[in-house]
Amino acid sequence: MIEKYIPFVGEEAIAELFVLSKKLKNLRILHINSTRKGGGVAEILHRLVPLMNELGIKTDWQIIEGDEKFFKFTKKLHNLLHIPCESCFDSSEIVYYLKITYENCEKINTENYDIVFVHDPQPMGLIIKKIPGQKWIWRCHVDTSTPDPRAWAFLENFLNAYDACIFHMPEFIYEGIVIPAYTIRPSIDPLHPKNIDLSEEEIKNTLTRFGIDPEKPILLQVSRFDRLKDPFGVLKAFKIVKKKYDCQLILVGSFASDDPEGEEVYKELLNLAAGEKDVFILNLPPDSHKEINAFQRGATVVIQKSLKEGFGLVVSEAMWKAKPVVGSNVGGIKRQIVHGITGYLVNSVEGAAFRIRQLLANAEIRNLLGNHAKERVKHRFLIIRHLRDYLVLINSLINTRF
Amino acid sequence: MSIAPFVFKAELWIPQYTGIKVTSVRDFIQTLKIIDKYSIFYHMYVNIFNYHNLPVYYTNSFAHWFYKNNYLLLAEKISIIDPLDYYDLEELRKDLVQTLESNYNQIIDKHDLQPFYFIKADRCILECDRKATNLEEFIEGIKASSINSLFYHLVTSKIQNRTSVNDYTAWLISIGEAKKAEAINKLDLYAMNLYEIKKEIIKILESGR
Repeated sequence: MIEKYIPFVGEEAIAELFVLSKKLKNLRILHINSTRKGGGVAEILHRLVPLMNELGIKTDWQIIEGDEKFFKFTKKLHNLLHIPCESCFDSSEIVYYLKITYENCEKINTENYDIVFVHDPQPMGLIIKKIPGQKWIWRCHVDTSTPDPRAWAFLENFLNAYDACIFHMPEFIYEGIVIPAYTIRPSIDPLHPKNIDLSEEEIKNTLTRFGIDPEKPILLQVSRFDRLKDPFGVLKAFKIVKKKYDCQLILVGSFASDDPEGEEVYKELLNLAAGEKDVFILNLPPDSHKEINAFQRGATVVIQKSLKEGFGLVVSEAMWKAKPVVGSNVGGIKRQIVHGITGYLVNSVEGAAFRIRQLLANAEIRNLLGNHAKERVKHRFLIIRHLRDYLVLINSLINTRF
Repeated sequence: MSIAPFVFKAELWIPQYTGIKVTSVRDFIQTLKIIDKYSIFYHMYVNIFNYHNLPVYYTNSFAHWFYKNNYLLLAEKISIIDPLDYYDLEELRKDLVQTLESNYNQIIDKHDLQPFYFIKADRCILECDRKATNLEEFIEGIKASSINSLFYHLVTSKIQNRTSVNDYTAWLISIGEAKKAEAINKLDLYAMNLYEIKKEIIKILESGR
């Protein structure tokens, strides 16, 4: 499998990975998270774990188990880590989290590993299983730049017992961490169905299947139906742009049947866009990878107007397809888009509308920004770089005495 | 006298947060005086690698931060300090601090700037299982080199070896290829990306064969 990445990163970069992995050959690595399906973490691990094994580093992946009550608490914790909120969790919820963590301690075998990566807050409490000689790393995939202090205090109970932690960017590293904190950017996989090359015909067929005109400019935002992704702001920006440019807007995402907020946002959008023939609000099944790929490739301008964003993988995906992205000047998007060079960063609906108009007016700028965007992703945001960063970190930790 | 073989290496790193962020120029200067030298390495050198393929406004993140915060004079003054002219990070630190201090009185310092996060590079210099004992092997070695390897030998090896000449040039001189050595030494790393630099080096090495 690893040789399939040669066309993207070059033979030399892959050969270097093999040399580096030789230093780590006798180690056993374990990744732990809370789901094998759905979400960016699982998506990355599905590819990263086999690649590490292919490099000769024995790597396993285990999943913690929990019931609805447990995941309801961890979802609450997740939200609080993003944004402070009046209501917090209570002590009974913490006790329940600890109970499930102890149950998982019985089920998850960590003893046979030298390096343990724990992803996100759900399995974080497993650190109590750490034994001498092991190195445990906590990998945070959440934007913790402005966490609720109570939620952060809860994490701190476990965090400083780890040997190192990883965040997407320094802005997310809350003060008070005493262990080494690294910044490693997430990545996309060029071999994922979401990112593979598609023929012009496939793109056109997909667009027309949804009633979209492939010949008319397309603005696109791919995201969950979530207020934090500001689809309403995108709709407003579109309405401003539409006064001067005949274009279409696709807002595509998905919501699970157990996500009442997602459904509410979706319905609200449908109401607001009622009668707008050029607006397509599409709720697709979560595995509609090829459709999303076709929308991104067929888009003229891609938008990511999130109010808060850990790291917009969809931003990298669109950039990989050489699309100019108009993204909010927040979270990880700030680090993905180099303003004016690989896309535009904006701070308002008006700013988004202005940049979209500028891009619609000028194909040359679109191509220039799009090509730079692709170069940036190729160099900084592909999975091979992510893998190499993990290997360098492991190498550093095993050579460090604590 | 036998000539030491050329050992191909690569510069790899991961960014580590130092835990220090500043929001004023004064704090920036004070921090710069004491920060881990590998933080200067990260912001001045690694940035060249990270953005080698894009036409960014400034090639180091210190200058970029001043620019972002509208300290255009400081951005320009810092931008022209070329890390490739140094082999000692302490010397580089001294010049950066001196430049900022001598221009500090010309600015109005604010205390609510967008923060600058001091990152340092946790480095791993990797030996790549390739050696060259003559020009032919050297060319083959360059062809098999990644851009991380080029970056090490052209840029960061100077710091490692505390010498003003890059690794390629030094070794080519040692095997009597002074002309090729000089041509490689003259390559402008800011004018091309590292993939183009690699092609140029191969062209120089293969010329006149």
